[in-house]
Amino acid sequence: MNYYITYFIVAIGLFSFSAFFALAGVYAERKISAFIQDRLGPTETGKFGSLQTLADIMKMIQKELIIPAAADKWLFMLAPAIIFIAVYMGFAALPWGPGLIPSKINLGIYYIFAIISIETLGILMAGWGSNNKYSVLGAMRSAAQIISYEIPAGFAIISVVMIAQTLDLQVVSMQQGILAVEKIKFAGFWDVTKIGGLFSWNIFRAPHLIIAFVIYFIASLAESNRAPFDIPEAESELVAGFHTEFTGIRFALVFLAEYSMMFLVSMIGVILFLGAWNTPLPNIGPVHLATWTTNMWWGIFWVAIKTLGLVAIQMWIRWTLPRFRVDQLMNLCWKVLTPLAFLCMLISGVWRLWLM
Amino acid sequence: MSLIRLLFYFMSFIAIASALYAASTQNLVRSIFVFFVTLFALAGLYVLCLADFVAVTQVVIYVGGILVLILFAFMLSGKETLDVMQQQKGKFFSLGKLPAILLAALFFIVMINVVLKADADNLPWVKDSIANNNTITPNTATIDNIGVNLMTRYLLPFEAISVLLLMALVGAAHLSRKEPEA
Repeated sequence: MNYYITYFIVAIGLFSFSAFFALAGVYAERKISAFIQDRLGPTETGKFGSLQTLADIMKMIQKELIIPAAADKWLFMLAPAIIFIAVYMGFAALPWGPGLIPSKINLGIYYIFAIISIETLGILMAGWGSNNKYSVLGAMRSAAQIISYEIPAGFAIISVVMIAQTLDLQVVSMQQGILAVEKIKFAGFWDVTKIGGLFSWNIFRAPHLIIAFVIYFIASLAESNRAPFDIPEAESELVAGFHTEFTGIRFALVFLAEYSMMFLVSMIGVILFLGAWNTPLPNIGPVHLATWTTNMWWGIFWVAIKTLGLVAIQMWIRWTLPRFRVDQLMNLCWKVLTPLAFLCMLISGVWRLWLM
Repeated sequence: MSLIRLLFYFMSFIAIASALYAASTQNLVRSIFVFFVTLFALAGLYVLCLADFVAVTQVVIYVGGILVLILFAFMLSGKETLDVMQQQKGKFFSLGKLPAILLAALFFIVMINVVLKADADNLPWVKDSIANNNTITPNTATIDNIGVNLMTRYLLPFEAISVLLLMALVGAAHLSRKEPEA
């Protein structure tokens, strides 16, 4: 019975983590955008405006839940929940440290890939349920974009999986550091099994994975509907896209899903390409930096630092680049990213056969 | 009753109830969304059968792909077509639907017969497998097995399917191409 209680605690912990991350994320986003645009951002509530998002969430909870008269009531009410739950379920298979993973399943990455795609359905549900043409347009754009960008993202992931030979994220993580049970070579020639650190990360184990990582990162921006791929909620054309009609706590759920999604895709990127919970510090001769900085707590620290770094880059990109047009977006996906991802997959196969 | 049995009945109930709702409702969009529930419950049943790869593939292909495509086609088609389709006359059972009902009933009888006659607990090959310890436990990584089998024993069907899919892709590309000016 204790088993089940642990499960519940882990689930609640993950939920509160994603809620807390959304709070901090919105604040960080405001401050970063303010810095980039030479403004101040929130300053009044709390020290440096740090309580601003908390105040916002308080306001949202108190707001009236309005259901438009012509909306499909059930779809409208369920949509935000489905959007959020789809993202939240993805967290179940992410490893946080050596031996620390909510659910150790041997299909890890495939499961996450599958469960994320349900978000599309929730977005379509929200768009159709609102019975508002802006919402439907936003939902259609979002679905088209997510489905298209799943292909390069999928191939980038496959090229890592071909190198790692497993779908289990914990094993993928294990291979990228000193805990590896097999022989790890830096760029295919230098044995770094005992050295670890930066050199045994996947992007350095097989350098073509750097391209795969960039492809994955671009595609992950599109999958979480972030700028420069935020045409589903392009405010100059579509008001707010698929979440135009949502108010109060439902609107908050959509936002929570967006920020959790940012964290989730960044963390997948970190796990697959950037060494997961492994330390960037290598063992140099008698100075065993890697051995000293590899355990459960350091694991949580490293994975969080790397993931937050990627999230910061996502925010930086959002406030720097202009939005794509729909045709540019599809051109980029089908004519640039997909062939490149195919190429990466091909190189992975050759690499695996001849250099590992 | 063990937890697994409980889960099995729970998910079967959801699958059947949502499938019935999807078939009987007049609201087409809702029927598509309820079909999503059916597929998800089926994925859960696959997990209970220790076929986790099939379950996840079901979610990827049907939920992430096909359902979204259906919805897409639905939202792109005109309102008039949809209105005609939504205003189907008659009740759930009517004379016009007799062939369909007959077919469904026959299939049902066949299925019931199979279940009753097969005696699934005492099949010889199942017994053989148990005796030879050739079984899958919840901790087995099934993908290795699937991959090896696809590339050796089932290579020909696998390649045939890939050619078929390639044909569909070429066909789709051809159909969507602009006709040159004659």
